[in-house]
Amino acid sequence: MASKFGLAGGIPERRVRPIWDAIDSRQFKNALKHSTSLLAKCPNSPYALALKSLILERMGKSDEALSVCLNAKDLLYKNDSLLMDDLTLSTLQIVFQRLDRLDLATGCYEYACSKFPSNLDLMMGLFNCYVREYSFVKQQQTAIKMYKLVGEERFLLWAVCSIQLQVFCGNGGEKLAMLAEGLLKKHVASHSLHEPEALIVYISILEQQARYGDALEILSGKLGSLLIIEVDKLRIQGKLLARSGDYATGADIYEKILELCPDDWECFLHYLGCLLEDGSSWSNGVHNDPINPQKSVDCKVSQLPDEVFHSRISTSLAFVKKLQADTSDDFIRCPYLAILEIERRKKLHGKGNDDDIVEALMLYFLKFGHLASFSSDVEAFLQVLTPDKKMEFLAKLMKTLDSPATVPTKALGQSITIFKIQELTGNLYKLPVLELESCAVQMVKMYCKSLPLSKDLDPQESMHGEELLSMVCNVLVQLFWRTRHLGYFIEAIMVLEFGLTIRRYIWQYKILLLHLYSHLGVISLAYEWYKSLDMKNILMETVSHHILPQMLVSPLWGDLNNLLKDYLKFMDDHFRESADLTFLAYRHRNYSKVIEFVQFKERLQRSNQYLVARVETSVLQLKQKADNIEEEEDVLKNLNSGVHFVELSNEIGSKTLTFNEDFHSRPWWTPTTEKNYLLGPFEGLSYCPKENLTKEREENVRRVVEKKSLLPRMIYLSIHSASASLKESVEENGSKSGSKISSELKFLLEHHAKMLGYSLSDAVEVVMGVSSGVKSFEAFGSDEIDWINFAVFLNAWNLNSHEPLQPDRDQCGRGIWHVVDTLLVKYISEKIKSMESLVCSPRVDLPILVQLVTEPLAWHGLVIQSCVRSSLPSGKKKKKGGSMDQHSSLVLNGVRDSIQSLCDILKEVAKWIRGQIDRPEDESVENILSSLRKKEQDEGPGRVFHVLESLIPSINEAEHGGRICQELKTWSALDVARKIVTGDSTLLSQFLNICESKIKSFQALKQQISSDIKCVLLNVFPLISRHFVPALGAAYDLELLPYLSATERVEWIVQALHRWTRSLP
Amino acid sequence: MVCVRKATMDDLLAMQACNLLCLPENYQMKYYFYHILSWPHLLYVAEDYNGRIVGYVLAKMEEESNECHGHITSLAVLRTHRKLGLATKLMKAAQTAMEQVFGAEYVSLHVRKSNRAAFNLYTETLGYKIHDVEAKYYADGEDAYDMRKQLKGKQSHHHGHHHHHHGGGCCSADARPVEAPPESKSEAKAST
Repeated sequence: MASKFGLAGGIPERRVRPIWDAIDSRQFKNALKHSTSLLAKCPNSPYALALKSLILERMGKSDEALSVCLNAKDLLYKNDSLLMDDLTLSTLQIVFQRLDRLDLATGCYEYACSKFPSNLDLMMGLFNCYVREYSFVKQQQTAIKMYKLVGEERFLLWAVCSIQLQVFCGNGGEKLAMLAEGLLKKHVASHSLHEPEALIVYISILEQQARYGDALEILSGKLGSLLIIEVDKLRIQGKLLARSGDYATGADIYEKILELCPDDWECFLHYLGCLLEDGSSWSNGVHNDPINPQKSVDCKVSQLPDEVFHSRISTSLAFVKKLQADTSDDFIRCPYLAILEIERRKKLHGKGNDDDIVEALMLYFLKFGHLASFSSDVEAFLQVLTPDKKMEFLAKLMKTLDSPATVPTKALGQSITIFKIQELTGNLYKLPVLELESCAVQMVKMYCKSLPLSKDLDPQESMHGEELLSMVCNVLVQLFWRTRHLGYFIEAIMVLEFGLTIRRYIWQYKILLLHLYSHLGVISLAYEWYKSLDMKNILMETVSHHILPQMLVSPLWGDLNNLLKDYLKFMDDHFRESADLTFLAYRHRNYSKVIEFVQFKERLQRSNQYLVARVETSVLQLKQKADNIEEEEDVLKNLNSGVHFVELSNEIGSKTLTFNEDFHSRPWWTPTTEKNYLLGPFEGLSYCPKENLTKEREENVRRVVEKKSLLPRMIYLSIHSASASLKESVEENGSKSGSKISSELKFLLEHHAKMLGYSLSDAVEVVMGVSSGVKSFEAFGSDEIDWINFAVFLNAWNLNSHEPLQPDRDQCGRGIWHVVDTLLVKYISEKIKSMESLVCSPRVDLPILVQLVTEPLAWHGLVIQSCVRSSLPSGKKKKKGGSMDQHSSLVLNGVRDSIQSLCDILKEVAKWIRGQIDRPEDESVENILSSLRKKEQDEGPGRVFHVLESLIPSINEAEHGGRICQELKTWSALDVARKIVTGDSTLLSQFLNICESKIKSFQALKQQISSDIKCVLLNVFPLISRHFVPALGAAYDLELLPYLSATERVEWIVQALHRWTRSLP
Repeated sequence: MVCVRKATMDDLLAMQACNLLCLPENYQMKYYFYHILSWPHLLYVAEDYNGRIVGYVLAKMEEESNECHGHITSLAVLRTHRKLGLATKLMKAAQTAMEQVFGAEYVSLHVRKSNRAAFNLYTETLGYKIHDVEAKYYADGEDAYDMRKQLKGKQSHHHGHHHHHHGGGCCSADARPVEAPPESKSEAKAST
């Protein structure tokens, strides 16, 4: 039954070849032509049909492809005499997979295997299907069948691997490990093992069961020779010995490894762990996160008696000294840093002293102080020193400057290191402003002086002294924080832009600039620099935190959309494709990689950022379409009316999230996405040890996702609540759904209030209080947007609710509309006032203003649109002879007032923006540059900048090389200033567009209301009014007459009068 | 200090960053997966004292041709960690594994003609020789040296650890993730 060579799916190969060739060269039309002629000859061949469906799918005709594919599948099932070959099946599989119907593909293989239970090819296909579906149990069963069929080791390992996956990915446990061990043991007894990876899996299964002795025995037996690379074997051995508690033998093994690889730091730590009988570095759940590695090694205070401790320490010292003596390689740092680690352990044990550590640090400095890695090498050791000792160390370092190294690059490296240590110890920032400034000047002078050293470097090579400008930037930002003098901030920007003019590839500068521009409020430039980093693939997961949070609250919707779309596409593609890749590892018999890979996929799937991006993508769509209720309803429809997100919000508490962002590259003033020290008062902090802040962040992310994912549903319910409120008065059957909406919205409001830390009634109180001025805006804290959103949704609920908002107070139907309007207007105008021009201070309030307009105001606008749409007797929404009752008219009044006040405030915003944009460019540029111009006195911003500017004339080709000369010719501070101004305009123009679109939408609503009310007055009212006088009275009551022009009013009164006289008895 | 060890899956997160921070270009993640899932023995990372990945080597086996040989796909060392001999260590680790695990007879690599630092590393420190010049090998039109280094080859048959080519049955056409390998980035920026 299997396909014979040259006979594909029962069809001669020569007939099929042209089809595959055409598909491979993406000539789908051509392929389809060949396929049609093939099908003419073999209309019932599943293989021919499968090929056709493949072509259709590639042409984008998914529905057709699915139906042809199902047809092929049916034929395959119906006719047992037909060939059931792997080629047909795998072709069907490809199509089903591409159509996201893995279940159908699996079904085909299951059926085939049940028909031909001893066909190995088909079984492998089925195994592959289960791999794609992550069905570990079924994988295991299929692999066992294959193993039984042919007895091959690899199939047994596939089964064992599938068992391991069950253990690691949730359900499983001890029994499964025992099962896996039993299977292997039996196989080893009869066939031994032949693959290194098989041995590794075997050992790890024993290890999981804490059977270290057994594992060691196997490793030292015959099977151990499978591990060809000696140190690989020794490492496993050392770990097993340590975990079994045999520290003495463990230490011997680690000595052996260190003799072979004297620079293996991890091994040294294990060695020390063994000597001091401290197993913490092997314990389960040991910290192993490449993104957030620990700064210092976890170790317990040794429980050893002092005598033993001392003797072990001397053993280690002697061994390390021997290593030092044995290695002639100048690059090997481990044996030297080991001394520091030993001193640190002594200190932790209460037996060390700071002088020894300082001395060891000095020795290390003399040997490796010129290396860029020095400060990160010693960071953890500095932390154990007292502040005084740190200063002492620093003083000693400074002294070495008296006799600098003779090689210029080495001398430069040492000087940079000393600056870095000053930064690290926090010493730099204790200096008075003037000295700090001088320090920056010194750094930048050193940078200028060192430029000639880089004259011959390739453009992509890192420059000598590159770090100096990053440090200058750090100092200048610190000066800005202290003095609030924006000149320093601008100076920091100039310094980095200057550096990037010389060398375009310095990512550190780009990231710093990105954050500087973000803080300044010129997010458009920040995004430009982000783009220049060219983040792709997994980097979007680890690095996009630099820009994403700022973009989420910016008006750059197009760019934000691209950012989110690219990221989600990458992640979703990976989730779709990763199973196929898993099979690669099975095929190459890299079993441990199978497990790692599946775990890695899970890690990405649980990414907090992925979750946030999904929610934010929907919120962005809602923001973008909020000016048009019909379009908004389409968005909501695609979001299943927000139901899934509510579920997400409910589940978020129980989800384990992963944090894969790499925060090490963030600048000191914003060590995490949540923190920006520059927003607060000066705290005397300068260097932020970037310890693992995951815990804190986790809580925050949960809170944000929980809140944000309620938004789509609340918007949906608010729209419906508003329309129900007006329909209900006329449509009797409307009340049922109306009350359902009302109760759900109330539930969500309670939830929302709870997240803000209040009960519903207390939250109402707060909102009322703030809007009436009894309470200040401070009552909202930093959750202002959430609070105002709350007020908006509260109003929508209130429209259709028969419950009083504040039971003990007098209710006034217009009250809550008014509350929302007041909040929005007050808050927005306050924000406008707080923002002066860009050049006076960073515009930190702009994101809040943007949020106010694009979130609560937009949602409120939707409630208004919904009211207008349902309240007016135009088109199909015509009221069935009902009168415009008191309720509706009150609502309409609220709507009218709302529209007016929102329009007015938006016009204010637009006016403010125009004021900013229309400022003469030269004036703004001059403002920026003047903040840098050095005054006569010797302090204030501009000193550093001055050094750079005065470098330019002295640049010459002989000294600095052609490339640097060339690049520096393009430098112009004026251009940078102009770029800032233009970038600012770009950003503000986008915001202006948003505002203008909203103004237009509100104006259209106003028009609609007035024309609809005219319609009511001119036609409906006289008809329904039996009496002119009551009609007139009602019209006055409802303040409707002003909607008519003077002539219309006269005509209306005349007509009504006429009807009235006719209706008189 | 710096531990050169085999790469794990999680290292990819940091390796990508490493690549980015070293070279102005980087790979498709799929390409890394293709390597680590197929030849995990040939991927090494240099882990710095504080656990950061500061360099890596990515290599593969070419088993199609008659002579079984290895190929260095990518080598990168962070700028802060240059001049520490890391590139040499990484290369040697990968070469040893090629030789011992797979019995490779030689190892090949491509390097930009203009990349003097890397060229020196390969010729002077590691003993590679120019085998050929590939014209316009890189996307920007630059030529590459095709370099080779002879290895000792398989010394002993070790437990029949072969990598069979299984029949196409177990793996659909789509299961091969490698689009044209972007070898144009196989240059190394590291130097001793």
